[in-house]
Amino acid sequence: MKAEDLMIPVQDYLKPEQTLKEAVNLLKTAKKGEERVGAKGLPVLDEAGKLVGMLSMRDILKAVHPTYMDIMNLGKFTWDGMLEEAAKKIADKKVYTLMSKDVITVKEESPLMDAVDNMIKNNIKRLPVVDNNGKVTGMIYERDLFFAIVKSMLNENIGGEK
Amino acid sequence: MTEEVKAATEVVMGTQFWVATAIFILVYGLIVTEKIHKTILAIVGAATMIILRIVTQEDAFHNIELGVDWNVIFLLISMMIIINIMKPTGVFEYIAIKSAKIAKGKPFAIMAIFSTVTAVVSAFLDNVTTVLLIAPVTMLICQALELDVVPFLLTEAIASNIGGTATLIGDPPNIMIASKAQLDFMAFIYHLTPVIIICLIVYVITLKFVFGRKLKVKDELRQRIMEMNEKEAIKDPVLLRKSLVVLAITIGGFIFHGMLHFEPATIALAGAGLLLLVSGIKEPHHILAEAEWATLFFFIGLFIIIGGVVKVGLIKWMSIKVLEITQGNLFGTSMIIMWFSAFASAFIDNIPYVATMNPLIIDMAKQLWPNVTGIELLHHPDLMPIWWSLALGACLGGNGTAIGASANVVVCGMAEKMGSPISFKRWMLYGMPLMIQSVIITTIYVWLRYYVLKI
Repeated sequence: MKAEDLMIPVQDYLKPEQTLKEAVNLLKTAKKGEERVGAKGLPVLDEAGKLVGMLSMRDILKAVHPTYMDIMNLGKFTWDGMLEEAAKKIADKKVYTLMSKDVITVKEESPLMDAVDNMIKNNIKRLPVVDNNGKVTGMIYERDLFFAIVKSMLNENIGGEK
Repeated sequence: MTEEVKAATEVVMGTQFWVATAIFILVYGLIVTEKIHKTILAIVGAATMIILRIVTQEDAFHNIELGVDWNVIFLLISMMIIINIMKPTGVFEYIAIKSAKIAKGKPFAIMAIFSTVTAVVSAFLDNVTTVLLIAPVTMLICQALELDVVPFLLTEAIASNIGGTATLIGDPPNIMIASKAQLDFMAFIYHLTPVIIICLIVYVITLKFVFGRKLKVKDELRQRIMEMNEKEAIKDPVLLRKSLVVLAITIGGFIFHGMLHFEPATIALAGAGLLLLVSGIKEPHHILAEAEWATLFFFIGLFIIIGGVVKVGLIKWMSIKVLEITQGNLFGTSMIIMWFSAFASAFIDNIPYVATMNPLIIDMAKQLWPNVTGIELLHHPDLMPIWWSLALGACLGGNGTAIGASANVVVCGMAEKMGSPISFKRWMLYGMPLMIQSVIITTIYVWLRYYVLKI
């Protein structure tokens, strides 16, 4: 099985110039398969459809988390309302300022082990799949890889069906 | 006798002289441009000195006059190990939160107390470490109080440079001077600490005039500070207690190292070893890896480069020129060294500066008192005020600009990440007058103590 057999086609994506407010709205309602259940992360594509970044829920969490708290353990000294205040402050920031820029991708014909390797080494849960022109065609999720493993373990036929 | 004097004032300017001088100028010039990392330049420069046979490897690695001053390196490594073990205990967060509560969340009181705490901690730990520990808490407190963080960060960095001047272990220039001039911990306490205390008091009073009226917060915001429980900062009380005991023993060791005839590096290494032993750390790899290797190799490289220009006589030639300017007037020399050091350190790194000045002062002393050698030369009563002037000028000078001291650079970097960058101009607007103020105080001190009262 290859990446393209497991990937879920990309239907929603973000643009670098969008504000975070617009981005979180899309994240909240993005399609996954047929359902609008929201997504934990979406690819960011430029005008030409080229992949320039990924914006995930974790990036939003990082955006409200003050950088000085990375250096020291200050979580115990925060106050009620601090998060809400920070959220209001970042609402109008542009997607490109907060997205993860060095995106790791796999090719459509990559073996699934390549996807697993990338997820483990880079501690990520979703990977964009790109075609030979570098265009994003789908996403591979940790959950779907898990199901692929389960199927193999239980000797089920995983050839054709999803 | 006459031959000795002649030999002391002549420098042979052969090929080796010019090659070594060229390496020295090239490396220092490139350090200023900041195009290539200073540590890489120092390592390449040092290797070139050895490859071109200006200094031998034997000189570079084993001769304290012409090579690496391992006393400095091991003192720095050992202190870094001690701090790296103490950091995760949460003691620094505890001190900072407690300070803010003692200030009752009043902004100027916070600024004054934080500056004072920073200065005191800096006297024992290196300045960059101190501001890295105090700055994050400052940012949190300022966010809680809805205050502009920049004045707080700036005043803390300046306080750390002032405080670091007070002791042998407070700032790298002092460590280097202590090693070269064979001065002990108590000598620094006796000669520098008093004037630094005066500088700090005047500094805090000045801050009151500069920032006192501008800083205001609403009472309900102060409540956020008062609700913080500093005890929650302590993550590992057992390790904290052990660390504090070892730190106390180490500082005790520093106080008595002169009497016990141990080098400061021996005391620090013993302290680091003891803390590693009692801390119960199974795998010391990460504690050792977190030492600032880039800084340490910067020192190592610089020592070898300086060894090269000492060996070929460039430093001696420079010392002759300095004596020509001052015409043997020692008060004049110490004043020139203090003020020149202050302005030089405001714009260039004070570590390479002091690394160059140390042998220069020794060469100068050799020419002034050709019949005196060894410790008697280094501790010549007329030379002592010059050592103190170098230490005061080089350490306090760092306050002048945003690039004058490593602590300033670190603070500016953090402020920028926070989205409130400190411009070069804004720093100079506060830093330069404050630097000049402190150097005026130390000028009066050196003049009064060593040239009028002679105590």
